[in-house]
Amino acid sequence: MQIKINNKKYSAKVGETIFQVCMREGIKIPTLCGAKFSHEGLCRICVVEFTGRLITSCNTKVCKDMELVTESEKISKARRINLELLWADHAGKCATCKKNRLCDLQKLAEEYKIENFHFVPRKGEMTNSEEQKLLRDNWSRVVVENENPCISRNSEFCVECRKCINICPEKKFGFNHRARDVVVGTPYEKVLNCSFCGKCVEVCPVAALTDQNDFSKIIEDLDDLKKFSVVVIDLEMDGKIREQLKNISHEQNFEKIFFDLGFEKIIKLEEKDRNEEDEIMKQIKTDYARKEKIDPKNICMFFISSKIYKKVRKNEYLDYVLSEREVVRLVRDRGNIVAGKMKIKA
Amino acid sequence: MQKNIKIITEHWGKINPLKIEDYVFVGGYEALKKFIEKSDSKGALEAVKLSRLSGRGGAGFLTGVKWEMVAAQKGEKYFVCNLDESEPGTYKDRLIAENNPHLLLEGIVLSALTIGAKKSYIYLNGNYEKAKEVLARAILQAQERKFLGTKILGSKYSLEIEIFSGAGAYICGEETALLSSIEGNRGEPKMRPPYPTESGLFGKPTVVNNAETITNIPWIIQNGGKKYLKCATKLFVLGGSVKNVGVFEAPIATTIDEAITKLGGGMQEGKEFWFAQVGGASGGLYLEKELGRTILGSGAILVVDKTANIYDLLLSWTGFFRRESCGKCVPCREGTFRLHEIAERLADGEIADRDKEALNDILWTLENTTFCPLGKFAAVAVRDAIDKLGILK
Repeated sequence: MQIKINNKKYSAKVGETIFQVCMREGIKIPTLCGAKFSHEGLCRICVVEFTGRLITSCNTKVCKDMELVTESEKISKARRINLELLWADHAGKCATCKKNRLCDLQKLAEEYKIENFHFVPRKGEMTNSEEQKLLRDNWSRVVVENENPCISRNSEFCVECRKCINICPEKKFGFNHRARDVVVGTPYEKVLNCSFCGKCVEVCPVAALTDQNDFSKIIEDLDDLKKFSVVVIDLEMDGKIREQLKNISHEQNFEKIFFDLGFEKIIKLEEKDRNEEDEIMKQIKTDYARKEKIDPKNICMFFISSKIYKKVRKNEYLDYVLSEREVVRLVRDRGNIVAGKMKIKA
Repeated sequence: MQKNIKIITEHWGKINPLKIEDYVFVGGYEALKKFIEKSDSKGALEAVKLSRLSGRGGAGFLTGVKWEMVAAQKGEKYFVCNLDESEPGTYKDRLIAENNPHLLLEGIVLSALTIGAKKSYIYLNGNYEKAKEVLARAILQAQERKFLGTKILGSKYSLEIEIFSGAGAYICGEETALLSSIEGNRGEPKMRPPYPTESGLFGKPTVVNNAETITNIPWIIQNGGKKYLKCATKLFVLGGSVKNVGVFEAPIATTIDEAITKLGGGMQEGKEFWFAQVGGASGGLYLEKELGRTILGSGAILVVDKTANIYDLLLSWTGFFRRESCGKCVPCREGTFRLHEIAERLADGEIADRDKEALNDILWTLENTTFCPLGKFAAVAVRDAIDKLGILK
């Protein structure tokens, strides 16, 4: 069937959503709540205009001879207001945020020129009584949980997009409370206990769900001249890192990126090594250390992988598990360092 | 137009709601007997279509059209009575359940059998404890007398009615949210289409009707749709500065003005009419010159006199929606919260230009981009207060 988007004709299949057609034809529609895999229509940012009305493109199916407009004054107005409302609800601590420059909301806010102009931000720390009076009940529940080994949760940053709720194969998350108090959390706010597949962290557009790691310790270890840092890079990580990295840096040479970060030995897993990473890491800390005469205690073993559940089962041969997001974060935070450290033998 | 005809409230206060004998004595369940005798659900559907009975919950959709869509489908179906009345200032459905529960039950049985449902739910507001007791007892009595259950009055029809008590959430009055709630999920509206008539409760075709709509059904079956068309009535809930407050039954063509003067007995002594809010907290405001219109939907009329403090009202409306928003979509979750925040500043008399700007922005986004009608409702009264009462000037 034929539909018209911005006065241009396109063909579409029955059952397709407007968003899917636009994606295929390269028409950009911003979204926060994930039009790719869920059709909930929560963020109301992917709105398009149809016969003068605003409809959400992510969950409206195309019909015959539809005439759509994807950019207009009305649409920008809707996106701006809704983003501004979200932004005011967001913590707005971009400079110190784990997801700074990697955040979907930040990108949209930049695009639509959002700032906290109309509203008092309602998430954050209160300082004095005067501010408390000003904020009155401009305050909502914030759930911070760092007790589980893999996923750090902080609802201060949450935009309630429900991506994590929809993607979780074990259905560990859900909405708690209602109206302005809505918080994405576990039942009765218990400590998250699941198989830690990490899908929720992958889809979170903001810093509400992030990888759990002691970053200061990692940086300390990387900078320590006595420590010999070895990194094992899992399969399929090239693409994942590149995907994330494009917002941060134009560097394409992986060797250089890892060397700049301070890793001295880089081992890339190949197809034949699939699921053999434990064996390889054991060899480094035993055979390789003996051969190169390095004290195994001074070898710092990093494993770069999406398998964040490895954090639960860390053994003596593995020190840190880093996800692709954390690598990019490291690149972002250490972008100014020009050369790696020298290889020191103990 | 026939005067003084009462369809719903006729036996209120005269019969004991806890006794089925009383209801049967005044001619109750006769319509059901007639239906069973004729065993003609097509004829019943025609009668309802002829009556042009429209939904009394708020939207005013034609009941016959809704029924026809479901009746045409085969297989398992559900009929749901929406008694999740939580609009501030509306309590007509509660009185229906408390004063004449058997009329409602008879209506439910007739409706469910007409559309071919074998299971029916009454979704009750969680705060309606008394109504729940009364209805539960009525269901038992009706089962005893074979007006309910398997093989109703010895015929091939059977129907099971279950009372489902909600938690008193306003959003659960919206039909898709109501169905989610019965299914055991969070009470949140779902995307439409598919409409409940195609895929409703547990994915089966479902009719959801307001309790007041259903109570008209026995009369329609008994007297025919044509007759109903001539003398249709609806309930009006009057509140505020009128002499008589309460629930009144009056012809459907009654205008707001007539309702206030005839049913409500006019304004209280020494009070001057300012505006009337029609339809609860989600309703628009009508000034004196606009009172000539008839009303659809829930029939709540709040009459406000000139001594009232508009800022208190604003706080009450915005506070209600801030509390009752389900939190699903951004404009409603954040917008209703900000609306209340600005209303608080308005009440304090400290409103900045940026607040006015924000107020207009929020109302606009609520009207244009929310997921379900609740968000739009949240803006109505505030918008009218700005446009008609000029609160920002």
